[in-house]
Parts: sequence; C-alpha cells; structure tokens
Amino acid sequence: MRMDGRIGAERCMFETSHVLGALLASSPLLTQAWSHCAHVNAAGGGSSFNVKHCGDAVYVAFSGAPQTGALSSSSMASGLTSGGFFDPVPIYTAGHNLFAPLVGGEEGDDDAEAGRPMLVHAGALHLFLTFYHSSDFQLLISETRNKSVVLTGHSIGGCLASLMALYFLCSSARPNASSPASLLCITFGSPLLGNETLSRAILRERWGGRFCHVVAQHDAMPRLLFCPMTAMPPHLTTLVYNLMQSWHFSMHYPQFSRPALQLTEEQKAELSQYISWHISDAVAAADSKQPVSPYRPFGNYALCSAEGAVCIDDPRTVVKMLHLTFVTGDASGCIEEAHICYGDLVEKMLQNSQSKRTMRQFEEEEPKSNYCAGVSLALEASGIGIQDMGAMEARESLELSMYRRPKLNSASLAIKLAKVTPYRAQIEWYKASCDGDMGYYDCFKLRKAPKRDAKVNLNRIRLGDFWDELLDMLQNNKLPHDFLKRDKWVNAAQFYKLLVEPLDIAEYYRCQHHKTKGHYLPHGRERRYEVFDKWWTDDKEELAERRSKFAGLTQDSCFWAKVEEARECIKDAWSEKNPAKLVKLWESINAFESYANGLIARKEVSVDVLAPRSSYSLWVEELKELKLKQAAALHPSFRLEQPEGCRKQSKT
Amino acid sequence: MAKRKSSSSLMGTVLDDEKRRALIPLCCSLSMAAHCSPSSPFLRHDNAGPSAAVFAFPASWSADDWLLADGARSPFGESQIDASLFPSIKSVGNDAAAAVNGAFLRSFKKVIDASRLQAEVHKAASEKKQIVFTGHSSGGSVAVLATIWFLEQRLKLDKRVDQVDPLCVTFGSPLVADGVTVHALQRENWGHCFLHFVMAADIIPRCFLAPLSSFKEEFQSILHFLSPKPLSFNPKPAASSSVAFYNNVLKNALSMSNHQACLLMGCTNPLLEVLADFVKLTPYRPFGTYAFHNSESGDARLICLKNSNSILYMLFYMFQKAPEEDLEQVAHRSLEEHLLYEKRIKECLDVQNIVFVDSSEAIPLSSSDGYRDKAQPIKRLLKDLDLSLEGRLYLRAAGEWENQRLKNQAKVDSNYIKIQEGLSFLKDYRSTCEVRGLGYYDTFKIQKDVEDFNANVKRLELAGLWDEIVEMLRRYELPDDFEGRKEWVKLGTQYRRLVEPLDIANYYRHSKNEDTGPYMVKGRPKRYRYTQRWLEHVEGLPAGSSNESCFWALVEELCIDTNDNKPFLEVKSRVLELEEMLLHWVTGGNLGRDVFVSDSTFVKWWMTLPLKHRSESCISKFMKSEEDMLEERSDQ
Repeated sequence: MRMDGRIGAERCMFETSHVLGALLASSPLLTQAWSHCAHVNAAGGGSSFNVKHCGDAVYVAFSGAPQTGALSSSSMASGLTSGGFFDPVPIYTAGHNLFAPLVGGEEGDDDAEAGRPMLVHAGALHLFLTFYHSSDFQLLISETRNKSVVLTGHSIGGCLASLMALYFLCSSARPNASSPASLLCITFGSPLLGNETLSRAILRERWGGRFCHVVAQHDAMPRLLFCPMTAMPPHLTTLVYNLMQSWHFSMHYPQFSRPALQLTEEQKAELSQYISWHISDAVAAADSKQPVSPYRPFGNYALCSAEGAVCIDDPRTVVKMLHLTFVTGDASGCIEEAHICYGDLVEKMLQNSQSKRTMRQFEEEEPKSNYCAGVSLALEASGIGIQDMGAMEARESLELSMYRRPKLNSASLAIKLAKVTPYRAQIEWYKASCDGDMGYYDCFKLRKAPKRDAKVNLNRIRLGDFWDELLDMLQNNKLPHDFLKRDKWVNAAQFYKLLVEPLDIAEYYRCQHHKTKGHYLPHGRERRYEVFDKWWTDDKEELAERRSKFAGLTQDSCFWAKVEEARECIKDAWSEKNPAKLVKLWESINAFESYANGLIARKEVSVDVLAPRSSYSLWVEELKELKLKQAAALHPSFRLEQPEGCRKQSKT
Repeated sequence: MAKRKSSSSLMGTVLDDEKRRALIPLCCSLSMAAHCSPSSPFLRHDNAGPSAAVFAFPASWSADDWLLADGARSPFGESQIDASLFPSIKSVGNDAAAAVNGAFLRSFKKVIDASRLQAEVHKAASEKKQIVFTGHSSGGSVAVLATIWFLEQRLKLDKRVDQVDPLCVTFGSPLVADGVTVHALQRENWGHCFLHFVMAADIIPRCFLAPLSSFKEEFQSILHFLSPKPLSFNPKPAASSSVAFYNNVLKNALSMSNHQACLLMGCTNPLLEVLADFVKLTPYRPFGTYAFHNSESGDARLICLKNSNSILYMLFYMFQKAPEEDLEQVAHRSLEEHLLYEKRIKECLDVQNIVFVDSSEAIPLSSSDGYRDKAQPIKRLLKDLDLSLEGRLYLRAAGEWENQRLKNQAKVDSNYIKIQEGLSFLKDYRSTCEVRGLGYYDTFKIQKDVEDFNANVKRLELAGLWDEIVEMLRRYELPDDFEGRKEWVKLGTQYRRLVEPLDIANYYRHSKNEDTGPYMVKGRPKRYRYTQRWLEHVEGLPAGSSNESCFWALVEELCIDTNDNKPFLEVKSRVLELEEMLLHWVTGGNLGRDVFVSDSTFVKWWMTLPLKHRSESCISKFMKSEEDMLEERSDQ
C-alpha cells in the first residue's frame, strides 16, 4: 500500500544505483584495477602484491592466490574443513592496535550492537599481519604517501586490500601519519570480511564510499560466507575445496585452459541451493537478529551483469540483492566460471555502455513515474529481468532503501538550526544573568528560580534532541558528504557544547546520578559531546595567542564535572583515615588544582567560574580549610574543627 | 498567431525570428571563407537586410593553438579568465573565478591586441548595427570569447544605450567555457546571444570532454586532415588513430554524462564523491542554444536545446554508435561531419524542421504513450532519435533540476516579507537605542535589558533565513540570475547595514576574537560577505569597497591594538584610513550618525588618540560638537 504523498514525492525522485554503476563501468578504474589483479594473480614466485603508477594514481594489487607464508592457497582451501581460515576472530587479535580508531569508536555506542566485538575472518587477518610485519610494508607506505591510491585484489586478495584500506583510513586519523591523499578499494569477487559491528563502524566513520566490491551475478565466493562454514555438510565442503583449487589454478596459469572439474549438474545445483538458502536466511536475520553466520557486507557493492552494474551502499539492501541476483537465471550452470570471469565481465560492461541502447520490451508499457522507470533499469543492470521471479522483491527492496535514505536538502537543516538557535540564545541570556552571583552552573543545579530554570531545562533538552537527530542523520549517510568540512556546523556544535554541557553536568549531579552510576565523565557523558570534541580537534590548529580577558565560555566543557569530582575528593579527604588512600586523594586534588589554575591563568574560563558563590569558589575555600587541617594535624597544637559546610554535605 | 508568438518568445533565440535567421547562412559561408585567408585575423561583412556587421574568425589547424604546451597543470587545458577583460565572469557570492580554454583565450587576446577588431567593432556598434561574431571549429570558440568581451565592453561603456544584443553563431566549435562562466553568462542574461550548430556525429565539439594528454599524439594528424584547404591534398589519418580518438572521446563523454546524471538525480552514495577523485571529468559546460543537426530518419532536422545539462547529454547521446555499425566507419564519419556545415545547415532552416526539446513534461517515458497533442512533434522526434529510457530519464532529471531551482527561488521569495518584517523590528529597536542614549552598537553589546535579548533573537531568526539562501547559492541550487535581482540586492544591503553591527557586537561581547581571531578574518558570516559582493557587482564597485557594515569590527580591532600600548605611529595609517572611510560612509548616508554618540566604543577610543591627531582629523567636525557640549556642561 502506497500513500499519495509518496507518489507526489516520486515525481522528482530518481533511482541512481544503476547510473552510478554505469559511471563505474565506463571509467577506466575497473579495467585498470582488473588488469593489475590478473597480473599479480598470475605472477608466481612469492610476490603477493604489486605497485604500479598509472597517470596520477597508484594501483596496489594483492594476489588472490597467495603462495607464500603459512597460509598458501591450498591451506586456505583446506582450512575450510579443519576450521581456521574463515573462522571469525576479533580484529585486534595478536595484540596489535592497528585499527584503533575503528575499534575504539564503538564503545560509546549505546545501541544493542555495542557489546559485540568486531570480527574478521582469521585467514585474511593473518595474511595482513604477515604482510604488515614484512619489509614490503614500509615500501608500500612510502610509495603511496600523498598519492591517489587504488587498492585492489581478486578473491581473497580483495580482503587483503580491504584490510589495507582500513589500515590507511585508521592511520589517517592519527596525527603525522603518512597516508594516501585519496583512497579507493576495489575488490573483485571477494568473500565477506567482517561482521555487523565492522559494517556499522564503517558506516559510522563514513568510509563506505571508499569500498567498492565488484560482484558477478553468479559468483559463489562473495556469497559463500553467509553459510555457516563449520556446519557445512562434508560433501559440500569437499566441493567448495575442489572449486577453490581449480580457481587458484586458473589464476596462476591464465594461459592454460582450466582442468575440467567434472562436477555433476546435481552437485552444482545442490551447492547453489545451499548458498542461496543461507543468504535468504541472512536477509531474514537482519530483522530477527539471529544470524547463522556472523559475516555481513560493508561499503558499496557493485552487482554486475553483462547489462551493467548497480552500486548499493545500504548493507541490508546489499544482502537482499546478493540473494536475488544469485537466484535469477541459471546460477549452477556457471558456478565454476563466475568467480574467474571478471576480466570478460568488465570488458563487456564497457562495450555495452558505449553503444546505443535499443528500446526494450518493458518500455512498451508507460512507467508510472521517473522512479519506477529508473528501478526497472536498475533491475536490468543487476541482471534481474523484469519478468524474473525476484523482480518484484528486488523492486521493493530498492524502493525501501530509497525511502530509508531520503534525499536530504541540506538547506532544510540550516533552517532547523536557525529554529533552535533562539533556545541557545535564551540559555546565553540566562548565563549572563547568573554570572555575577553564583554562575549559571550552580544556579541551574540548585534550581533557585524554578520557573525560569525549568524553561532553561526545556531548552537544554530541545537542543540535545536537535543535535542527536543530526548525528543520527550523519551516521546514516543522510547528510551531504562535505558536511563536516563546513565550518559553520563545527563551530555551532562547539559553541553548543561549551554552553550547554555544564547544564547537563549540573542536571546529572542535581539528580544524584553520580551516586548510582558513578561520576559524569566516565559514565554520564552524552556521545554527542565526544563526537563534537573530535570535530573540533580535527578541525582546529592550535591558537597560541594569549587571551586578554576571560573567555565568553569556559573552554573545557567538562570543567564542572572535574570540579564535582574534586569536591568529592576533598570531602573524602576529611574523613579518610587510610594514609595510602589519602595520598591518592591528595594526588587528584593537586592535579585538579594545577589544571584549574592553568585554565584560569590562560583565561580559558568564563567569569561564572570565578563568581563568588560558584562551586569552584566553594572548592577553593574547602581546599584552604583542608590544608589548614592538614597543617594542624602536623602541628597538633593547632586544632581546627571541620567547617560547617563540609559537615553538612557529608551528611546528605 | 498570438499563440505562436508566445511560444516563440519562450524560445527567445535567433531561430524564431525569420529576418535574423537569414543571417545564419551568411555566417556559415563567411566562417568557412575565413579559413581561406588565414593571414587576416578576421573577416568582416556588413549586411543590409537586418543591419548587421558580421565578424568571422578563422580556425587554426595547428595543434599548438588547441593545446597549450603547459597543459599538464590543467588536464583539460583550462586556465583562469582575466578579470580585467571579463569582470562579470565569476560567481558573485561564492567569489569563484571562472576558467575558459587557455589556448583559445590566448588566440583571442592575440586578435584583440594585434588587429583592428576593437576599433571596427566599436565603430559598427556606434552606427547601431547589430554585432555578429561567428566562426567554424576553433574560430567559433574565439568568436564566443569575442562576444563575451563585447558584452562586457557594452556594460562598461554605457548601460543606457539601447542597442540590439550582439549575436554569436558557431559551427562545430569545441567547448570553451567552464561551469562558473556558464553560470555568469546566465546571470547576466547573456545566454540567449549564443547559437551553436553541431552536426550529430561531429567529434570536434566533443573533443575537450577528454583530457588533453589522452589525444595529444594523434591530434595534429587529425587537424591536418580537417583543414579545408581547397587545393592541397588532405591525407586521411591512419584508421587506428581516428578510431582511438573516437573511442577516447566517447568514453569520456559517457563518464561525464553518467556523472552529471548522478548529480542531477540526487545520488547520495558516497562512492560518487570518491570516484570523482579518480576519474578526471571535464570542467567545460555548454551554454546558449545548441542546434543539433540530425538526419537519421531521412528528413534533416535541427534539434534545439537550451538546458546546459541536457545539451551535455545530447553531445554524448548523438555521438554514440549503434551496435551494428562499423567502428572504423563511425570514427571516420565523426571527422568528416566536421566539414559539412555549409552544405547541411542551409537545408534545414525552415521553421517546421526546428524542434525544441526542453521542458521535462514534454519528454514521455515511453515511446508508445497515448498521443497527447501537445507533445506530438517532440514524440515523433524522440522516436526518430530512438532516445532510450536512460536518455529520457536524464532529460527529465535535467528538467526537474531546473524546476527544483525555480521552486527553491519561490520559497526564498516567500521569505522576502518575513525578512522585511524582521528588519523593521530591528529598525524600531535601533531608534529605541538612540532614545536610550548609548547608540545602537553599544546598547546591543551590553545586552542589559529584555529588548536587547529580543533583538538578539530576531538577529538569529534573520540569520537563519539568510544562511539558507547562502547555502543554496553555494550549491548553485537557485536560478543563475538570482544574484542579479535588484530587489534582493537591495534587501541584502539593507540587512547587512542594519544587522551586521549586531553580529559584530555579539562577536566581541563573547570575545570570540580570542578563540577564532579577528572578526574580519575568521568570524564574518558568509551571509554578509555574499550580500556585500552582490552590491559591489551590481554597482560595478571594486571588491571590498563597501564594507561599511564592518565599521565596528575595524574599530574593535583598532581598540585592541591601541590598548596593547602599541605606539600610535604603528596604527596611524589604519586610523587615518578608517577616518576617511567613516567620513565617506557617514556623508553618503551608509552609516548612521549614532557612531558619534559620546559614550560609544568608537568615541571613547577616538578620544584616547593623541590630541594633535584629533584636531587635524577629517572627522573632527563631528566630534567637535560633542566636545563643545561637554565643555559647556562642565562650564555650568
């Protein structure tokens, strides 16, 4: 059932997956990349990759049938039976920290996936780590520095290329890393590499556009890991093993004709049945969260047929389309050739895209809309004919992904920002009115003027909602790609953080959340603030100039959380009897003191921090008294009672 | 009859005016004739029918005149346009410079420097003749530059002279202008002066869709073949080189049209952006009216388009070969057609052979659609063309994109009144400030009362409305002529003068200068930069000359510098400059006199300047009265 509004919107909507596919097919990228892959596949004698300069770009191709190292091609295939090569292992296995930003980022994620570790298959990771420790690695780094780099690989070589790309992307997040200026990873018929957590992390980091997995319509390899490798019936495992052996032979010796495998029609049919059954299982699992195999696609998939290609970047749609394209036509007939036919496929796509199309059968019927017509073309390009069984289902899933990801008019976001800015202005106004006495942090925490404070609280919540929604859209690729390059947004987010986070902290301590959940900094901070921290530091070069007067807003938005922790330290120090623990407390008190003094000396705090009755001013007083007490303890003649304020607080 | 007129005014080109259409065969013959006297930089012919002076430029058949030797730096041979020769050719708000083909620009400059062209054109113009520039092949590209140059001249000399627009007619000319140039031509409403004829398969108009390095080797032999010397023997280029040339151009044309299709259709896949890093795409864009000569279905027809994106697609689409055709033949035909203009154009200049294919409604999705009268000639034509579903979708997307821009404009226009209301609110606020005695800027900066807070909210609301406009302009999502619209330039100027002081006050109130640097360098919002450039462009003022709305930022920065105890001499030149500008702005009425209120930031600072300087200052007369008043008061 479709609503009327949808039809109206469809008028100016277009399906673009096949157009992007056509762009890819017509560009020299695929033919270039494939020729390097084929070359490195055929090169025997231990070379597992090659580097070629082509115009302005550097192509790095990884062999799809590596012969060297602990994992030769045959052990890779035999790993199927013994378990090992395709076993999912955590990406940080072996204690390395190469993918730190990717893995690290997942912790703050509060959705259900957070607990699951990021997995990749053991074989590819092992190959990558072996390569990483070899001398070739440094060579590669220096060859690709500040260049436009295409990483590519056929079959398992594509997994290696993907891990290399991930390594580069992760390292470019670090300062002074030498990394390529621009990067694209093109794989041909590569098996799945990682699990849902990896797929999500790549979406979150917005790296999906860097990966383009080229998949032929009936290639079993990219679909194989939807099957549970350990639970595969033994006769099928043997079948797969034989297939891989034969593929490796033809990769190494493209000049020879491939030895016939003598697979019977029944065997082929059974294998393709088995695979397609498990992909459809994965489609269902996307909703029910009970996956048989942990592996999930990430990045773009270019699903190719002789008619063209469709590029899809939504993982769910990718799974669905991997299934539907596979079951269309005679999969079992070409299951032997499909994995090694990429050269022909790439060539054929290019030829087809250059000559005039004739009017096709489905054009006889007037399509309902631009969008419908576009989807028909996309289906055709993916290899699903309009009369085929899967056509309806594929059409629905393409349309669904379209609606899940509406075209975003970034101007409308600017309007939304403009709408919430007055809320921010009200908080600013509130801050200014509190600055003289106790500062807006304490005013808000104590709720001295309930009506006014409630209004501020409402504004605080509205602003939080706005920014959460924005982050959500950003993560789901709904925003323009250069979004973060726009100073306006980075600045707005920073200003918001500096102004409003103190209120969040105040609310946290006012509600006594620290009693149940622990302190704000480790346990209560919203993810958006961490993201904004990252934007700001990525964007900013250090400004060395000294301030002439106090900043408009305290430059460390977590300042108040640190004050709260320091106040607790002082309170504890009054009653702490254990000397070892007391030393610890003093260490943190002193650390805070020098930190705060530094901020104040550099004038990086706003005036409200120094307001006479602010929490910080109270802390300074408390510290003075504590020091007096300490002095008194050292000189017993000098006695002092615990001051009134602290005693009262320790009771509450 | 009336109906016909309305539809033809929609087309608005030379082609629908019978008399001026008669000029076209003349242009064509003169363009070809120009080749035969390559020693003269141009040929001139004066027509009596419609009174016109036609200037034709010869093409060059040496590859050096097509490809600059240092082309390595710009892969498609584009180079930045001279702002002195072409001051209007830029994107105003975005402040983006335009680029044109560097080799043709050089050829044009040679002609204008070393020939009588300039004098003859001006003379003909003063005799009220219509000026027509024309040329075949690269001569046409020079003619395009000459036309833009002449349009600029006319703008500079006298705007009031009521003269017929010049005309530019090219035949098989390669692309010469980049996207920004095309945008600027549309903004100035000059697009209708250009008419380009292109044979369906001619390769030369398409050649710059491919990067220069990819056809450098074979290009000279190809030009040699094309040069129409009547007596000499033209050797056929090797089949392999013509095939390579054809394949190369076709492949690039295909990538270009696919990329453009992704953009027009609103593709959000991040892969698109990554691919653009790796696939080199031409910066050139077609503009004006393109008339494609198509004779596939027997009858020769002219297929006319004005939408730049649609033209780009047709350049690709008509260039493709049918699957059954022989590649070598197609490649050869793509060269031969470059020389057929004189023979073929004349025969299809009849009205019934000319078809406009532009609005998206007119292009049906299917060839067997029920016959609606309105769409009929186009349908017949599309059937003749055998336009594929991909092509139809592309043309519809190009049309939708234009529609969307118009819709955006309508939406922006609907905010006009809202902005006016906001401005009048702030105007009232400004007068209350004056009553309260501290001046507009300083009252707002102190933010003491609830009125000040309300003004701040209003400021933010207005900022939202303007930021939206700026964002759309940045992405070229408004019609090209938006920045030339008088009412918006006026409103933008009002807004800038009234509200920017508040932004500056807010900036320095929160001492944001200490986080991000001086307002003028880092803090000035785009909405003010854009509106200032609009005014400067429309009035023809030098860039940066009307930043009166930034007065307070200049004052604040000077305050900071003098408070740092810098010796007066160090800032003296800046102070003098500021005072001069202030005088100019205040006397011109662009800046309010509340600047001189006795407790304003400016006056307080100015009073700290050395007495000698103050007494000699050009603005002392404004201050005098204040000082006198003070003295009077102390006397009492």
